[in-house]
Amino acid sequence: MFLSVDLATRLIDVLGALLLFTMLLILASGQLFRAIYAVAAQAAFLGVAGAVLAAATGNVDLWIIAAITIGAKAIFLPWLLLRVVRRVQISREIEAVIPMHVTLALAAAIVVLAFHLNASLGPVRQAITGNALPVGVTLILIGVLVMASRRKALVQMVGLFASENGIFFTAMAISQGMPLIIEIGVILDVVLGALVMGILVLRVRSSVDADIADLESLKG
Amino acid sequence: MTSHLLWIAPLVPLAVGLVMLLVRDRRMLAALDVAGSLAVLGLTAGIARQVAAHGAVTALGVFRADDVAVIFLLLVGLLAVAVAVASVGWMRHEVARGEMREDRLRWYFALVHGFVATMLVTVLSDNLGILWIAMEGTTITSALLVGFHGDKHGLEAAWKYIIVTTIGISFGLFGTVLVYGAAAHAQGGVFAGAMNWSSIAAVAHRLDPGIIRIGFIFVMVGYGTKAGLAPLHMWLPDAHSQAPTPVSALLSGALIKCALFGIIRFHTIARDACGPEFSHGLLLAFGIVSVVVATPFIIVQHDLKRLLGYHSVEHVGIIALGLGFGGRVGTYGALLHVVNHGVTKALAFLVAGDAIGRYGTRDMRLMKGFLGIAPVAGTLLLMGAFSLAGTPPFSIFVSELLVVRAGIAAGRFVPVAVFLAMVVVIFAGLVHHVGQMAFGVADARAERGREAVTPILAMALLAAVMILFGTWIPFRPDRVLQSAAEIIVG
Repeated sequence: MFLSVDLATRLIDVLGALLLFTMLLILASGQLFRAIYAVAAQAAFLGVAGAVLAAATGNVDLWIIAAITIGAKAIFLPWLLLRVVRRVQISREIEAVIPMHVTLALAAAIVVLAFHLNASLGPVRQAITGNALPVGVTLILIGVLVMASRRKALVQMVGLFASENGIFFTAMAISQGMPLIIEIGVILDVVLGALVMGILVLRVRSSVDADIADLESLKG
Repeated sequence: MTSHLLWIAPLVPLAVGLVMLLVRDRRMLAALDVAGSLAVLGLTAGIARQVAAHGAVTALGVFRADDVAVIFLLLVGLLAVAVAVASVGWMRHEVARGEMREDRLRWYFALVHGFVATMLVTVLSDNLGILWIAMEGTTITSALLVGFHGDKHGLEAAWKYIIVTTIGISFGLFGTVLVYGAAAHAQGGVFAGAMNWSSIAAVAHRLDPGIIRIGFIFVMVGYGTKAGLAPLHMWLPDAHSQAPTPVSALLSGALIKCALFGIIRFHTIARDACGPEFSHGLLLAFGIVSVVVATPFIIVQHDLKRLLGYHSVEHVGIIALGLGFGGRVGTYGALLHVVNHGVTKALAFLVAGDAIGRYGTRDMRLMKGFLGIAPVAGTLLLMGAFSLAGTPPFSIFVSELLVVRAGIAAGRFVPVAVFLAMVVVIFAGLVHHVGQMAFGVADARAERGREAVTPILAMALLAAVMILFGTWIPFRPDRVLQSAAEIIVG
């Protein structure tokens, strides 16, 4: 035990606030590069949260998970996204389907709702460190909001990764995290899924010169 | 009892898939495909025998098969064989028409086997984390298959499919995390197997109902997206209609059922933790919405494969209704419907692929006189369509009847009435569409060649199962279904 439980809880709450802040940066960013850098920073904070929990609980698995998170989600996935952006030379502006002030209002409603939901839970809350549960719920739902309000493939991928960061944050804080092998399997799925999405984006670019998320021929 | 078959079963298609990557000859690939699928069916039948003899079997601490799993396993095995047999003739035709490039065939077949392997892991896993990992694995392998042709429509469908179902089932992961957290809290710490369904279900009545409720909602939305329950079904008609036909049969017949399997596992946990009313109500709501939402789209549809896609939404809704009505009869009916719809829908997609190949279009208004140019496939089309519409003596009639009976017994008259009204409308719509297609005189451009042997063989196999289950459910399947319903009802 390098950290007292009290200090760990406070650190997790600070990191949770940073995760929320980066999430709002992603939601409000008008440029693709900024959204990608924000999601990379978010994954880095997630890795630090894993390290804090590892130090607090003495759980060796969490150190490994923290390292993998930073390697896969803060370095590899943003690198992949930036590579795809350079390859397809798309316009870097993000056009919103829903006006920005409406999305921000929705995001605020999500935050309030998530914390309200958390307050209604009983004794089981002790099993979760700090405010990890409402922060996780908020990240997941705002990630979906990002995906729904933007018609750009790469922004939708950023929203997806941010959503998954929320799940990992809650998973780490619940009873010392999931078994190591499961965490590794989940991260492997995330990376493979991202690669397949990248392939699809590139294939559409090379054949019809359009953003894959903007195709609308299948209806009814 | 431990059984090595549980980890061998998914390993076989994985190994066959890897070997296929080294093979370039089409005949050799087709032979491997059929042999590999027969091996899968044999292994699943072996597991079914062990479960029948010894009760639930486990392996490696993370795999487990009980009677519920056996139903889904046998369905995956049977459909893998039917699709492999049909692919022999279908693929020859596709290559001849230039729809499929011969040098890319090995990738196609390898992906299909990878896809089957991930479905088997989904159904066999006891560990809820592995269940999720395998479920996401099915998305990754099948998304590549949906976009395999590489045309604009296929890629669009593949994108919608992977992005919507990945975000969808990440909700499922969150729900899994919450349920696991509640279980670890109740058990006072983490131990090996703490994430297993069997150990969580054993302590389910002691779990915190508040957190399980939130967890089950996330799981229902997550795996419900993957199962194609409305209003989360938007990707389904696109993906199921744009995929190569054998893949459509597997997606509609087997994959969406595997997602329901995930929901069933969490339903049994939620039943003990917060009482049956909560998860029953949620299943009922999703079920009735699916049936109602699918109906207008079925009526106005002209694209044959999209029609079948919307039909899957309807039938997944019926399974959810059966589970939601609950009781032995409703649950038995829902599980029987899993099998019946899987078999019938695979048959319908295989016939549809044959018809689309002959007419060179998917528009049902341009397909006339199918019975005249392909008498055997035409007959099978009519049988499949009448079964989907719920007519006796075909199997879907029996399971729909059981679902309705359970609804009346449970006193849920409004959902039953809505369901019956929708079924009548769908019957009319489907008979109209298919009648248009089967009768009349075929266009001169339609291909009138001899019917390929292997697809007919595969369709006949599926039709035989469909009629068998419609007239008389043999003793062994009946016993498996009954004890599976017992596990779910508790």
